[in-house]
Amino acid sequence: MPAMTNRKSNSEKLELLGNYMLRVANERDKSAFAKLFDHYAPQLRAYSLAREPGADLVADELVQEVMTRVWLKADKYNAKLSNLNTWIFTLARNCRIDYLRRNGRYATEIDPTDIFNDMEDEGPGPFQLVQQSRAEESIRAGLEQLPREQSEILTKVYLEGKSHQQASEELSLPLGTVKSRVRLALKKLEVLVER
Amino acid sequence: MEKSSNHPAYELLAAYSAGSLPLSQALCISAHMEHCSDCTRQLQRLNRVGSELMQQLKPAEASDSLKARLLDSLDSLVDEPAEDEVKAVDPSIPRCLHQFIDNSYDKLSWKQVSADIETVELCRDSNGARVELLKIKPGGSANTHTHMGDEYTVILEGSFSDESGLYRQGDFMVKGTADRHTPVATLDRECICLAVTEGPIQFTGFFSRLLNPFIRRSYA
Repeated sequence: MPAMTNRKSNSEKLELLGNYMLRVANERDKSAFAKLFDHYAPQLRAYSLAREPGADLVADELVQEVMTRVWLKADKYNAKLSNLNTWIFTLARNCRIDYLRRNGRYATEIDPTDIFNDMEDEGPGPFQLVQQSRAEESIRAGLEQLPREQSEILTKVYLEGKSHQQASEELSLPLGTVKSRVRLALKKLEVLVER
Repeated sequence: MEKSSNHPAYELLAAYSAGSLPLSQALCISAHMEHCSDCTRQLQRLNRVGSELMQQLKPAEASDSLKARLLDSLDSLVDEPAEDEVKAVDPSIPRCLHQFIDNSYDKLSWKQVSADIETVELCRDSNGARVELLKIKPGGSANTHTHMGDEYTVILEGSFSDESGLYRQGDFMVKGTADRHTPVATLDRECICLAVTEGPIQFTGFFSRLLNPFIRRSYA
C-alpha cells in the first residue's frame, strides 16, 4: 500500500531531521544545520508565498528569521516533548507575526513575543506522545479527505493568514458560515479536545 | 452552568494557532490558557494541523545564495536575553501581560470610573480595540451595559456572576453587541478582569470631542 510506505518514510524522515537537530544543539554542527535548511527552507518559503504570492524577498527573510531561531534555540528544543515539524510551524507563524508588526501592518503597541511562546508545543508526558504521533497520522490522512470547502477555509486561515472576517469577504460567505466550516473541518480531523 | 461557555470557541483557538487573530484577542486567549490545560492541549493539536498544512504546500526552492548567507552568519549570531528576567513581575500575572505591568496590579494607575469600578488602559490594538484591566470591588457591580463591538473578557483574579452564571479565575467570555449583562463581583474579594473592547466610534470633531467622556462612561 503506497500510503503506508509514505507514512513510514515520513516518520523516518522526521527521525533523521531530529538527529540533525541534536547535532546542531550539541556540536554546533553546520553541515547538520545545512541539512535542516535543505528540508525546511522550501517549506518556509512556500508558507510565506501562500500569504504574499510573488514576494520572494519576504519569503527569504522568513527563512532567515526562522532558521536563525533554529540555530539559536536548538538546545532548548526537546524531541521527547514536541514534534519538530510542529515546532518549525510555530516558529514560522511567530516570525510572520513579528514581520507584520515590524512593517507597520499591525500598528499596535502589543508585543507578540510573550503571547506566542516559541516553546508552545511542550508539556505532554510520554503517554500523550504516543497519542500525538497517532494524531499526526490521522490529521494527515484526514486533510486529504476533507471536503474542498473545508480545506479551502483552513488554507485561508492557516496559510494565507486571513481573519474570519477577511475569509468571509473573499469567499462571499456569512461570517457564521466561515466559523462553522472551521469547526466542522476540525471535527472531521478529530483534533477537538473535550472541555 | 455550561462549562464549555467559559472557553474560547474552537475556531477562535484555531485563528490564534494560525496567527491570524488580532493581537488584542490573542492576549485574552493567552491569558486564558495559563489557567486552562484543556485549551493548551487543544492548541498543541491545532498547531499540528498548521504544521501538516504547511507540509502539504508545494515546496518553493531556496536559492544557494540564501543558504550561503545564512551559513556565513551563524558564528556572529547572539541570542537576545529575555527582557523578563530583569523585571520582577508578580508571577500570578499572566506572562502575556508582563509587557504592560512592571510589578503588580496594585502599582498600576487605576482610574475610578464608578463607585464600584476602576480601570486602567493597557494599550490599543491596530483595529482600534481597547485593551484594559477592570477592577470591581467585592460585591460591586458594573452597570448594565451593551457593547458597541464584541467584548472579550478573561478573569484574572476573583470571580463574578451575571445573568448567565458564575465566572471564575481564567474564565473566558465573548459578549456581542446584542448581549446585555450586569456583572457583579462575588463578596469574598475584588475581581480583576482583562477586557478587550472592539472600539467604540471615536469622535474627533471639536463639538463631538466633548461627547467622548459620556460615551466612554457608558461602556466602562
